[in-house]
Amino acid sequence: MSRRETPLLPVSDAREAALFFVVGALCFLAALAALTTRGTYKAAEAWGAQIEGDLTVIMRDTDRRTAEEAASRVSNFANVFEARILNDSEVETLLEPSFGPGGMPQGLPVPFLMVVQADTAVGDPSQAIEGVLDDLQIDGSVAGNAGYAENVRGGLNTLRLMALSIVALLSATAVAVIAFATHAALLARRDIVDVLHLSGAEDRYIAGLFERRFWILALQAGMGGAIAALMVTALIVFSGSSAEGVEAQLLPQLSLDFWDIVILLVTPVMAGLAARMAARLTVLASLKDTL
Amino acid sequence: MSRYRPDLSDEPAVRLDGVSLTYERTGEVLSEIDLVLRQGSFTFLTGPSGAGKSSLLKLMYLAPAPTRGGIRLFGRQTFELKRKQLAALRRRIGVVFQEFRLLDHLTAFENVALPLRVSGQKPDAYQNEVIDLLRWVGLGERVDALTPSLSGGEQQRVAIARALINKPDLLIADEPTGNVDPEMGQKIMRLFAELNKRVGTTILIATHDLDLIREFEAPVLRLSNGMLVRDVEYGAAE
Repeated sequence: MSRRETPLLPVSDAREAALFFVVGALCFLAALAALTTRGTYKAAEAWGAQIEGDLTVIMRDTDRRTAEEAASRVSNFANVFEARILNDSEVETLLEPSFGPGGMPQGLPVPFLMVVQADTAVGDPSQAIEGVLDDLQIDGSVAGNAGYAENVRGGLNTLRLMALSIVALLSATAVAVIAFATHAALLARRDIVDVLHLSGAEDRYIAGLFERRFWILALQAGMGGAIAALMVTALIVFSGSSAEGVEAQLLPQLSLDFWDIVILLVTPVMAGLAARMAARLTVLASLKDTL
Repeated sequence: MSRYRPDLSDEPAVRLDGVSLTYERTGEVLSEIDLVLRQGSFTFLTGPSGAGKSSLLKLMYLAPAPTRGGIRLFGRQTFELKRKQLAALRRRIGVVFQEFRLLDHLTAFENVALPLRVSGQKPDAYQNEVIDLLRWVGLGERVDALTPSLSGGEQQRVAIARALINKPDLLIADEPTGNVDPEMGQKIMRLFAELNKRVGTTILIATHDLDLIREFEAPVLRLSNGMLVRDVEYGAAE
């Protein structure tokens, strides 16, 4: 009967358990940072688009029927999600800071206000709205958030850059620490490298043993870290789904789409590759001193 | 005592030309060594502790590269060889290390089979051979024992079996009988002598055991302060 071959490297020891923990923790942090950054990106995108897409149309010296007709026509535009005339109570709420609650004088000539939510990615509807006002002979004007939105967009871009920098820094740190920890764990196996070398094993054979060992170890640890990041993300998504209003808008738009899954899959692979490369370089460097 | 000068009349198994070895921490441990081991020779290497015996053996089994000088093994200049060729050359050398260098997580069988395994052979091909060799060194009942469960003497015998399993052209042994009883020591030395006579294996044994040296009447090389000198004290030099 053929004998089963024991792996040439011992199954594991305390040093590798420490390496497993380090890789797992770093992958958790890196994956979570990457997912959060994507969420921040998506939130910034949505927030910016919403601000840019909000338009207010002020219509003076006209009646409600004509104003409603204008809103009806505007809402039919392809790039407009919604267009409606604010009702009296909404106008009163709007003017409350000036007149106090219920303090709006009777008969005050308040212009009709049309709020428009448009998809500015498709096109700015301001000119078309002005065309509707002219067509219905309404003395009105369109007030957009372009100037304000530009400032917001600048702020969001800074936010994105910061988030990206954090992910890049954390990823680079993770790779460096994994490589260093692998190097340290492997140095403790120097005796095995020597015995294999002196038994006539080729450098590639010895390096291959350690590469496989540390690749699998880092891959498993990285998967553990990625799964933990997935669970935390799911928790945030679940918590975020119960938030409403401004709170909901400001929370990072964490979700699990295709690219999030890609991030979770790529993280352990990157960790594995870093460990594998470190193992290869360490073994070859240690053999370099020998004939 | 005169400096040893080798006989260069034929292509030797081992030839060292002006070899020096310097360690960063301890400085020069071997100085300008000229040495020839003819193919099929049986030689003892002796000298006081710290004279550089183990360092000289290491150079011969291609562990460190010499700081200066050249090493020719079986007619091939080692510094001219590619690493793959060096690995192949190393497989022609059997080494019995003073500190055994067995892998703790492997059994006696697996430790002995290591040189065959790393050269790509499968257990089916070498199983009987390894077991026979382990039986011969008196470890037939300890084939599947893990290294830590073996006594010092048993580990020594496993190390010897591992050095012999590849039927090496050159056998280098550092104090091979140091941890075994006299009877086993005699048995091991007789095996070495038999390998030398019948197979033509070139053998170099580093030892402090003067009785052993006298008994086998083989040439003796003596190291002193990192230099190789001829020593006829034991009546066995060429």
